[in-house]
Amino acid sequence: MAINLSNSNVGTRENRIGSITGYVGTLKDLAGQSECGTLKGCSRCFSQSSTCLSSCGLSQLAAIRDVAIIHHGPAGCSVSASSAYYMAKVMAKKRGVTSDTVYVGTDMNENDTIFGSTATLKEVILEVNKRYSPKAIFVSSACATGIIGEDIDSIVEEVRDKVGVPIVAVHCEGFKSRIWATGFDIADHAVLQEIVQPPREGVKTNKINFKNFFESARPEIIEMFKNFDLDPVFLYCNSSIEELSHLSESIATTCICGTLGNYLGNALEEKYGVPYVRSINQCGIKGFETWLREIGKVTNRSDKIEKYIEEQRAIYIPQIEEVKKELKGLTAVLGMGPGYTFEVSRVLDELGIKVVWALAWHYDKKYENGDVPPSMKYLLDNDIDFEASVADQQNYEVMNILNKYQPDMYLSRHPGSTVWAIKNGTPAVYVADEYMIFGYKHTLEFAKTIVDAIKNRSFEENLAKRTKLPYTDWWYKQNVDAFLEEAI
Amino acid sequence: MSEIRQIAIYGKGGIGKSTTTQNLTAGLVEHGKKVMVVGCDPKADSTRLLLGGLAQKTVLDTIREEGEDIELDRIMKEGYGGTKCVESGGPEPGVGCAGRGIITSINMLENLGAYTDDLDYVFYDVLGDVVCGGFAMPIREGKAKEIYIVASGEMMALYAANNISKGIQRYARTGGVRLGGIICNSRNVDRELDLLRAFAKELGTKLLYFVPRDNIVQHAEINKKTVIEYRPDSNQAQEYRNLAQAVIENTDFVIPTPMTQERLEEILMEYGMMELADDYKI
Repeated sequence: MAINLSNSNVGTRENRIGSITGYVGTLKDLAGQSECGTLKGCSRCFSQSSTCLSSCGLSQLAAIRDVAIIHHGPAGCSVSASSAYYMAKVMAKKRGVTSDTVYVGTDMNENDTIFGSTATLKEVILEVNKRYSPKAIFVSSACATGIIGEDIDSIVEEVRDKVGVPIVAVHCEGFKSRIWATGFDIADHAVLQEIVQPPREGVKTNKINFKNFFESARPEIIEMFKNFDLDPVFLYCNSSIEELSHLSESIATTCICGTLGNYLGNALEEKYGVPYVRSINQCGIKGFETWLREIGKVTNRSDKIEKYIEEQRAIYIPQIEEVKKELKGLTAVLGMGPGYTFEVSRVLDELGIKVVWALAWHYDKKYENGDVPPSMKYLLDNDIDFEASVADQQNYEVMNILNKYQPDMYLSRHPGSTVWAIKNGTPAVYVADEYMIFGYKHTLEFAKTIVDAIKNRSFEENLAKRTKLPYTDWWYKQNVDAFLEEAI
Repeated sequence: MSEIRQIAIYGKGGIGKSTTTQNLTAGLVEHGKKVMVVGCDPKADSTRLLLGGLAQKTVLDTIREEGEDIELDRIMKEGYGGTKCVESGGPEPGVGCAGRGIITSINMLENLGAYTDDLDYVFYDVLGDVVCGGFAMPIREGKAKEIYIVASGEMMALYAANNISKGIQRYARTGGVRLGGIICNSRNVDRELDLLRAFAKELGTKLLYFVPRDNIVQHAEINKKTVIEYRPDSNQAQEYRNLAQAVIENTDFVIPTPMTQERLEEILMEYGMMELADDYKI
């Protein structure tokens, strides 16, 4: 599907790529239905959790250095400002840079809702610009402004010449989509619309765009890419507007997570011809090698990459094989975003751990280029199958599964989720850092972490003994899909 | 003391809801009834004929300029025959949310104690179609229990009336709101009376009153008066008095049974066409 950058509104994941939040079945069925186009999402007659796409989208933008986020809506909508500030400051400090990004809410009240408040918004934009001199301004709607049709686009046009820096309308109405990852696309769309510039003539570069969350393995990856004469540009955490303006000049785009990088990668390829590296991600041995080889192919560096793979294999593969002996035959349940769930499932399979159930917080039927996500394709091509479900962090479904299958471990990338498993007495591995399973080195560490988790069980056992969970025996006897409604 | 009869008037935009409501109010006043009219339209012209012009500040403008700590007399004016007149008001065309405005202003009226025991009738004159939850506010939460739809024999007026009935049906299931009938504000279209009777019957209600077309209504409007005030002896003034009598005596309140578009078009085909000569030219 063509990406339309002339319109400030981005279609939801549900509309653009057929994403769903409700399914129970098997991996093969899920992928088979995706390919033949019959996959339909179920809704739930009971939902325990969700989150707003605006916090997902705007926290991405707020991580960019020295910009202003103006959230036009009631004060409660800007509540994520505090965590966005915290995260941006911590990440900047960690890297040793400063970020003067500000996140401002317009504090819309009842009168503003009835009469509209674009005049106030205009004043706020000009005042923020005067007071903080940001390098770019992102003006976002909220649910209330979306419902009453506040014409944010026109205001942005009106003040464009006055502010003298890139300014863009961001449409973040939370009700648009149940899939919070739509917020990633909204952030990408804003950056692509106004920040990214066409490539400068005659500029040759060895830069590779690397879309990730918190650039925690930045020094290590910079060192690794030096072996291939590539210079990674990490996005968006700590990015500068100057860096982002030249994304169109890079020789490729890659990402740590397909859910996160899909929109930007495809758009840069479609609009500027920057190749998007489409492969399984860097987790595990197979993933790391497949990813590196794909980079080698699109950047014409295959020789250097093969040399690196050979050297690294010699160091790490024997060690990984050694740890694998302790993991063989273990069972796991995992619950993560779709980018990671199916990648980590692959790694667990590689380590000899049997995945008995994988939950994805949502599922993208296809990516922006029309293909089934590579992580799914890999599992199918290698005849790996297990029970799978799509649940937007519905904890009661996770607990039902853990009780039915009694796995040796539960893995999640979302902190609240692992805590519940631990209270249930299930050893849990919190795959918090996006680079926790990156490449050979971290795959080895990951395998060791799992060994630690399953060997040191006294914490889980003691906590479970002293915890009364709110779920009844009745619920544990029900099918996981008991509250799922038939897809229409 | 009997309960206040709270009545909401709905109908297609431009059908004559405000004119009918104010003339009906004037008729009720002659019967000695105490009436409050609440205009639920951002144009704030629902009480113009009772007040002799656009003579008052709207609830929403007052809240915006003076805050919420206001007295009732800041937003309520006395009009013809002691009627209490309130205009909800709202945003400029094309901005903000008029529906939310109605919700806010009706809540404000309640908080300020506008619904006094001496009132016999409260009329809500609501803008156009029931386009969103805000415009349904007068029939939610036990406010207006009685609804009249103003219509004519024109197709779009009937289409809107049928649509409004869907909204009434929705709220009737959970609350006490009922349809009291259709008021025809005649446009002199073919077989209008028969058509409206058939339409009302299909909706499960009745044609409460047929108000004939008379240019005197236009004259009265230009003079910022109801017909009853402007020409008390005219035939049209008597028609509005009769309408008031019909409302007073009405005891038939139903949950409407809205029809499909196909059924509505069947009724129009059956009643809405005179045998026309084929040589009709404009």
